[in-house]
Amino acid sequence: MDVILSNIRALVPGRKQFHLDLRRFVAEQITRSWILMVWLIAFTAFVGWYTIGQLSAAPGSTTTVLIIWALTVYMTVISELQKDHTPLTFWLKENMYNSINNVLVTLFLTLLILAGVRAFYSYAWVNASFETDPITSNEERPNEITVDDALAAYRVDFSNFPEGSSLPPRVILENAAGTPIRQVTLTKSADDPNIVIEELEDIHTGASWGSVIENLPNILLFRFRDPVIQWRIWASIGVLVVLALPSFVVYRGERYRGTTTRRLLTWAWVASPLIIFGLLYGLTAEGPLQVVDPDQIWGGFVLTVIISVFAIVVSFPIGMLLALGRRSNIQGIPWWVTYPVAIAITIWGLLTTTPANLEASRNTAETILAYWPLAVPVLAFFFQRSFKGNVVAAFSTGYIEVVRGTPFIVVLFMSIILFPIFLPSGWDISGVIRVLLASALFSAAYLAENIRGGLQALPNGQYEAADSLGLSAFNKYRLIILPQALRAVIPAIVGQFIGLYKDTSLVYLVGLFDMLALANGISSQNNWLGIRTEPYILLMVIYFLGSSLMAWYSRRLERQLGVGER
Amino acid sequence: MAQGSIDPSGRRFKLPSLLDVRVLGVLAQLAFVVGFILVTVWFINNILSNLDALGESQFICIDGSSKPRCSFDFLSSDAQFELAETPIEYDPADSYWRALGAAALNTLKVIVSGIILATILGTFVGIARLSKNWLVANIAKWYVDILRNTPLVLQLIIIYFSVLLALPQIEEAIKIPGIPIFISQRGVNFINATFLPSAGVWLAFLVLGLIQAQVLWWILGRVEEQTGRSQNRFLWPIISFLAIAILGWVFSSNDTNQSILLGRQLQVEEISDFETLMLQRYDVNTLGEIDMLVANEVMTQDAVDELALSLCVLRDAPSEVNFTAQLRQRGIPYTVRRLSSQSRATSSFADGDCEVYVAPTAVLAGERDILENPNSFLLLPVQEAPVRWSIPRIEGFNFVGGGKMTTEFTAVLIGLVLNTGATIAEIVRAGIQSVSKGQSEAARALGLSEGQRLRLVVLPQALRVIIPPQTSQYLNLAKNSTLALAVAYPDFWNIANTTINQSGRSIQIMLIVLAFYLSISLIVSLMLNAYNRRIQLVER
Repeated sequence: MDVILSNIRALVPGRKQFHLDLRRFVAEQITRSWILMVWLIAFTAFVGWYTIGQLSAAPGSTTTVLIIWALTVYMTVISELQKDHTPLTFWLKENMYNSINNVLVTLFLTLLILAGVRAFYSYAWVNASFETDPITSNEERPNEITVDDALAAYRVDFSNFPEGSSLPPRVILENAAGTPIRQVTLTKSADDPNIVIEELEDIHTGASWGSVIENLPNILLFRFRDPVIQWRIWASIGVLVVLALPSFVVYRGERYRGTTTRRLLTWAWVASPLIIFGLLYGLTAEGPLQVVDPDQIWGGFVLTVIISVFAIVVSFPIGMLLALGRRSNIQGIPWWVTYPVAIAITIWGLLTTTPANLEASRNTAETILAYWPLAVPVLAFFFQRSFKGNVVAAFSTGYIEVVRGTPFIVVLFMSIILFPIFLPSGWDISGVIRVLLASALFSAAYLAENIRGGLQALPNGQYEAADSLGLSAFNKYRLIILPQALRAVIPAIVGQFIGLYKDTSLVYLVGLFDMLALANGISSQNNWLGIRTEPYILLMVIYFLGSSLMAWYSRRLERQLGVGER
Repeated sequence: MAQGSIDPSGRRFKLPSLLDVRVLGVLAQLAFVVGFILVTVWFINNILSNLDALGESQFICIDGSSKPRCSFDFLSSDAQFELAETPIEYDPADSYWRALGAAALNTLKVIVSGIILATILGTFVGIARLSKNWLVANIAKWYVDILRNTPLVLQLIIIYFSVLLALPQIEEAIKIPGIPIFISQRGVNFINATFLPSAGVWLAFLVLGLIQAQVLWWILGRVEEQTGRSQNRFLWPIISFLAIAILGWVFSSNDTNQSILLGRQLQVEEISDFETLMLQRYDVNTLGEIDMLVANEVMTQDAVDELALSLCVLRDAPSEVNFTAQLRQRGIPYTVRRLSSQSRATSSFADGDCEVYVAPTAVLAGERDILENPNSFLLLPVQEAPVRWSIPRIEGFNFVGGGKMTTEFTAVLIGLVLNTGATIAEIVRAGIQSVSKGQSEAARALGLSEGQRLRLVVLPQALRVIIPPQTSQYLNLAKNSTLALAVAYPDFWNIANTTINQSGRSIQIMLIVLAFYLSISLIVSLMLNAYNRRIQLVER
């Protein structure tokens, strides 16, 4: 109450004296430079023009905004002149009205946001339809619009459609004379070649949320909708919940540090991906845990989660090995081995293959390629210089850099196209598994760079201390280096997990049924021909919520672990 | 771990050489090499046996034999697919090489324009994130959050299907008042400068003018130094530059490499004679009245078009832009027949489909001799401006003239720019925040304006922090351009994929694709590393 009163008091000029140096005010706010003056004049004119436009489009809300704006500006100005601010006017002065320009910007942006919100509100709520079965649910009304009119408005060639199909009632026919907006649906009956026109009772010009509502179980679960196997999804979620609930207690504070309970829970967490994989993939040929064909069964949000979790879990050990490999400084192959071998290969190549290749060459490129042995010493030189003969480091670096230079979508296609060529002909790996392996191998390269960052951030003293304690190399990394390095890169790893979660949307391009593929499919369903925006909005929400949640959790984790503080 | 150590009793002892770290290291290396070679050999064996199963077609040569060295030969055969848009000329009868080359240029087009626009957008949004205005800062924050927390491919698809394809059709294209830009379902058509052949001469003049202005600026500076009187170092160079530019324009306009070919029976000796010709044809007193004919219902639109001057031109030829611009200036009505080749245009002209044949002089002089009785045709030089505006107009179901961005290109560009711009905004914000507050305070204390503070003090220092992560964002943009596949923009990856599907040669194409994207990554990072070194040099 006090707050409101004090703000109301700010509306009334008090007895206090005004402090206003008008000349200085004008010099600072308007005539500081001629660019500012021109800008202010042009911007004022533009905002005025825009406000008038909005006033005629939506008088009520615009007037309200204008009144609130004028009132708050007035309050702020009076408070500023009296040098007596309430918390509200002070905040307004600092954040909204700190210059004439910003006063205008604030008005303009408020009106702009208002217009956006209004448009979205009318699209998504006022004019939207939530009908899940649009074609049969509407009563027939007297026919007033000709079929030709309707076809012209639909802009599709309905004559080519098979008999029995119908167009969704989402096109609005507006008469030139200004008669009310009407909505029709067209149906081609099986026995009658003529197109039947129906006019619908409830008219909507906005979103058809029915398409999303009807398809939501499909988008989330895909074939796990099937009641026979649906329990496996709930069981998987159950496993996670059962593990998560005690975690809130056990991992908080010092009470359970080092106890068996905590160790058991950790092992359960480590094992949980395997359990869930068993539930979702199946273990036996028959019975309740029958092995499913992932190409047919996995899809939708379930597939998104499977791919991103699998990729991050599997890529973790690979990425760690690659990071350690890239940083390894074990004794390399000495130069007096590398160079003689390289020169031997060169001489052998020049003597045996080059003459034959030169003879068979058909163009300049092949002539040049015939001298390939000459490249071997050069490569050997760079290998010795950059990696000091360390093959492990060279391989890790090469793998990381090549993978990081390749687009993910290319890697996905390679997995689909090249896996069968790279493996013996008997091995038949399903598409989903190929994509899973490719995602893990792809993500390992990025993870390796993150972990390498953590290893590099560690001061050298830690390595030396571990050495001086006489720890073996394995124990040095297990007990001293990795725990510290990994803690430092947890935010980066979560960030990468978010990236993977978003990147799973690409798998629809290689023919998997992820959420995007299912959303695209809606537009060719009979009831929802051409409807795309609504499912896409749903997907945006799902991805946005998932990523934001993980980002928020990562920030919290970062604070808890005190990254960058110790 | 040294080789020999001193044990507590003071005796030197030698480790058995098998436990020496260096020996162990080399052994580990050798084991790794052997393992690596074994795995590689296994893969190669699999590949070879699988390729055998696929048949010899993988290695077919032009002469029909099958050798491994011919594995890339198929790229010289006909591609037989269309490309929706190409920066170079391409025909389905061209080779796969040319198709891939055109697609590579499409990719480069997206990458280069995307990098430039994303940098501009990201910088603005990054600064807006730190705006003092709460609304501006929060709008920027939400923009960044939404774009960064949703998949790029979904954004691309939404931009393509829900935004661009929902735009009005071509006849109802959105016009921006005052500027000839048309936005429709089919993309963006905009006014575009067409350079005619004589533009080379004019550009030479411009370069000359620039050099001259620079020299004059320098001389005036010296005079100022020596005499101590202040000289106007901007006005005179600019005036002389403009004078040279105008001179060059006039000079190059006298060039006569544009002409028109027309029958003598038209009795047209120079361009202005067309006016009298049209006045006679329409039976009006001034050309302005022609527009009134339809309005007053004296004639139908078809009848007006029937009488208009009909032109034959080569498709996309600058000579058309030049000549029709002059006809429009004079108000002469005309219709245009665009033909795809010289011989077609000539035969169309010979058949009397059109009265005037517009082309470069050299072309027309040759073509006139082919006609049945060359002497009854007249070659008329046309004045040429070095640069003409080409304005898009609707003709039939398409836009003619001007520049064009297809819907697919626009979608890919907008998607990449919005997405990368959001990430760059975060980098720019972090960079600006890394500059200590004292720098800003010092700048304000010196009386610099907010703009000057950003431009002269904060950004140069922030750039050092910004450039390294920016590099990886540019690389991301280059790699993300492969998502063009989702909206069917013919970029390199899309066309490579089509080639794999059509030719069945997956390994070869995949190698080319890897080489292409790895070299783009390499080039971009090399360029930015060089720039980075230059910036870091100024470090304290």
